[in-house]
Amino acid sequence: MPMQRSYKYIMYATKQPSLRINQADLKCKTGCGFYGNADWNGYCSKCYRNQMEQERQKRPRHAQSQPPTHHGESSKAPVPPGFSKFEEKKKQQTDKKSKYLKSLPVFRKASNVKDVGKPEKHVNVRQTNPDADKLMAEFLSKYGHLGDDVRKDFLKCIQLFTTKLLNEMETKPIDELAEMAQKYYNLYNSRINSYSIYTELDGDVRIELEDFFEKYSMVNLYTWLFCPSFTNDEEKDLSIQDRIRKLNWVNAHHLDCCISETSLEVRDLVYAAITDLLGMDSVKAPQEKLQCVVKCCKSVVEVLQHCQGGPVSADEFLPALIFVVLKANPARLKSNILYVTRFCKDSRLMQGEAGYYFTNLCCAVSFIENLTAESLNMPEQDFHAYMSGEVTTVSAWDSALVACEGMHQLCEHLALLKMLKERNIAIQDEKQELMEDMKKLKEHIFVRVSSVLERTPLIIKPRELPLPLTDDFESSTGSLMANVALVTQKMARTNKDKSKLNLDITPCISLPPEDGDNERNKVIQDQLSPFNDTQSLDGLITPEENSILGLSKVNYDIDFSDLSADNSMAEALTPEKKCSPTPSFTPDPFSPVGTSCTITQQPLIPFSVPSQISTVLEPQKFKDEFVIPFLEDFSKEKHEETLLDKVEFTPTSNLPPPLNPIKPEYSGFSRQGFKIPNIPCNTGDLHSLTLEPGTSKQE
Amino acid sequence: MANSSSATPSFKVVLLGEGCVGKTSLVLRYVEDKFNNKHITTVQASFLNKKINIDGKRITLAIWDTAGQEKFHALGPIYYRSSNGAVLVYDITDQDSFQKVKTWVKELRKMLGREVCLAIVGNKIDLEKDRTVPVQEAEEYATKVGALHFFTSAKLNEGVEETFLSLAKQMLAKSEEKEANGNLSRQNSLRRNMLVVTDDEPETAPTKSCCGAGGA
Repeated sequence: MPMQRSYKYIMYATKQPSLRINQADLKCKTGCGFYGNADWNGYCSKCYRNQMEQERQKRPRHAQSQPPTHHGESSKAPVPPGFSKFEEKKKQQTDKKSKYLKSLPVFRKASNVKDVGKPEKHVNVRQTNPDADKLMAEFLSKYGHLGDDVRKDFLKCIQLFTTKLLNEMETKPIDELAEMAQKYYNLYNSRINSYSIYTELDGDVRIELEDFFEKYSMVNLYTWLFCPSFTNDEEKDLSIQDRIRKLNWVNAHHLDCCISETSLEVRDLVYAAITDLLGMDSVKAPQEKLQCVVKCCKSVVEVLQHCQGGPVSADEFLPALIFVVLKANPARLKSNILYVTRFCKDSRLMQGEAGYYFTNLCCAVSFIENLTAESLNMPEQDFHAYMSGEVTTVSAWDSALVACEGMHQLCEHLALLKMLKERNIAIQDEKQELMEDMKKLKEHIFVRVSSVLERTPLIIKPRELPLPLTDDFESSTGSLMANVALVTQKMARTNKDKSKLNLDITPCISLPPEDGDNERNKVIQDQLSPFNDTQSLDGLITPEENSILGLSKVNYDIDFSDLSADNSMAEALTPEKKCSPTPSFTPDPFSPVGTSCTITQQPLIPFSVPSQISTVLEPQKFKDEFVIPFLEDFSKEKHEETLLDKVEFTPTSNLPPPLNPIKPEYSGFSRQGFKIPNIPCNTGDLHSLTLEPGTSKQE
Repeated sequence: MANSSSATPSFKVVLLGEGCVGKTSLVLRYVEDKFNNKHITTVQASFLNKKINIDGKRITLAIWDTAGQEKFHALGPIYYRSSNGAVLVYDITDQDSFQKVKTWVKELRKMLGREVCLAIVGNKIDLEKDRTVPVQEAEEYATKVGALHFFTSAKLNEGVEETFLSLAKQMLAKSEEKEANGNLSRQNSLRRNMLVVTDDEPETAPTKSCCGAGGA
């Protein structure tokens, strides 16, 4: 084995570089001038025969290991050293194999049979081959009507043929057996055409019979003739298989083949071709094997038609077939080819489609065996890198398969992604809608709020309304009217909150003076009565939703509530109140802008931060104590005190919420216009606020 | 066998030539009488049979197309073994293709000897203005190697029929001549295509041992 390989290596090394067959390569190695043949070890037929004859004669006499001596006898030309080695090796091998063969029961039988007689052997053959039995049955059903004579003669010929071949098997090389087979085919052919019992048959039937003769005998002998153990067919199989495996990186592009490896349909067709080619190994008769080749090649033609259209010429066909062979890597490829070439009827191989396609298959195999970097149009280095496995590329075919699977998954995933994307878009749209809705709602709310706000500032007007009242009341304070006007203006400008602040204070202040007037008290009480109902409004008031309805009235409540709520606080603050002039008089001091006013205002200024206005104090604390104390307060004089307290409180408590202020405005303004000027200064402009204290102080 | 015993002898004709010289077009024109690919119904143009009549004798031409690419050149022997005739095509506008024909001729003469009938064909004469292979050179060469020479245009259908007809006549004459020489030589021509047997020794062995006598 190793020797064989080394020989092959040498052969490759010397032969592979050039694809062209040189003159020297073709000549018989003996130099006799005739052409040699690789299957005859490079000899021409005559020299080879001589050589074999000599070997055969020598074998019985000499030891088996004796090297062939024919070189000296027959060759004038020097024989390469590698060759003589090979020759020796080959001989040893055949000897070894023949020994091995003898040890096999089958062959022992055969040899026995030879001694005993033909009939027994014939029985043997038939017994060991169920396929032959099947064929026999087929023969009987098909040609039984031809008569016993034909059948008997047919069987007789088969028997002679098989027996003869089996007998010769041990002593003759496979090529001679093949020639024998051809000879028998021809003999039977001429027998059919000349023998009396066949004369009645049609031409077609005769041809069929000939074919059947070939088929039947070959099926019978298949075990011995296919990949015979006394040849190196098996090694050839292994070597070509190995070679194809090494060439698995070759793709259609390398072969200048137009097969598109990625197309699904093309892939199916190529698979069909591969299947047909692989099927060659599973049938036995040469013509059946040929038929497989034909089917395969027709599939290849179909592939090419699919890929390029139009008639398929050999220029395109051969590369495609090579590609298919490479991808199929059929089992026992060489054995099959050799078997067919040896034992298929010559005429079948020489002509017709089958012959042509089989020839192409031989060409493909030959090309694969001798393939070089040059034949693939690629750099030598790359080729060697690929062949040695240094560079491992996924073969395009494999990758195509993988890619097809991957593509399938990709498609699925893409579909999934697409769906998800659609859903995402839908969600985005909905989100957008929702956003818009929210925006609309916001705007709507804003509009409504602003509309409410627009209404609420209207409430400010009431300030002015009361003004005439105050005018009436406060005729004495006419000097302050200008201030009041300013205040109102500022109020309008400033935020509600601020205005409220102002308002808050004003009522606080305004109330006390009113106390003095019974009428006003009554009025207030009247107003309050509804407010009692609106106690609940206190909560409502904080949000500006409170309708205008309540506002004017409610304001009072809140203001009062503040006042009332402040009571508790007021108690704590009472000392301050006490310090300040009596509440009842507060109005008076305000109007003249007395010292008391200054006191109350001073705390206001620092605390009157707008943010504080909306502080929690009013609803929570006030609500509880709100109404009751308030009413009571009102009824009583204490109320006035509380009011004063509140005045002080409002500042301390960070000015009761903006809501409240509105209400007080009425009362405050209406009743005490003079006070207003001070308040606005606090809330409206910080400067004024800051100044006011100063001014107030100054005043 | 076919060309010996069957009623219509069959001749194997192999088409050789460089790629793109028009081998396939030539055979398609001959067999289908069509040039444009669109109208050709033949699925495969690599193997085609054509039955013709020569002087009242029906013969079949089995035309084998071969791959013309340079890398497949070495496969030539497998294609042309046991062929009766060869059509060597070159492109008259391509000097290289003519040189290629010369190599083919040499090879064929060496491998198949004088038995093979050769027809050298200068194709694409519709491109006469671009001719680079002189008429005289080509014809002289053909005569020198004992080959027929034709100018054809597969496109215009000129000279195609004549080429194959003349070749067929020559092949027929050769085979008849061979037949006249005797049975042995005929049988030799039938030898298995893989092994070109040049002597009759192998036959003696089987005939001796087998029951060939009984058969005859």
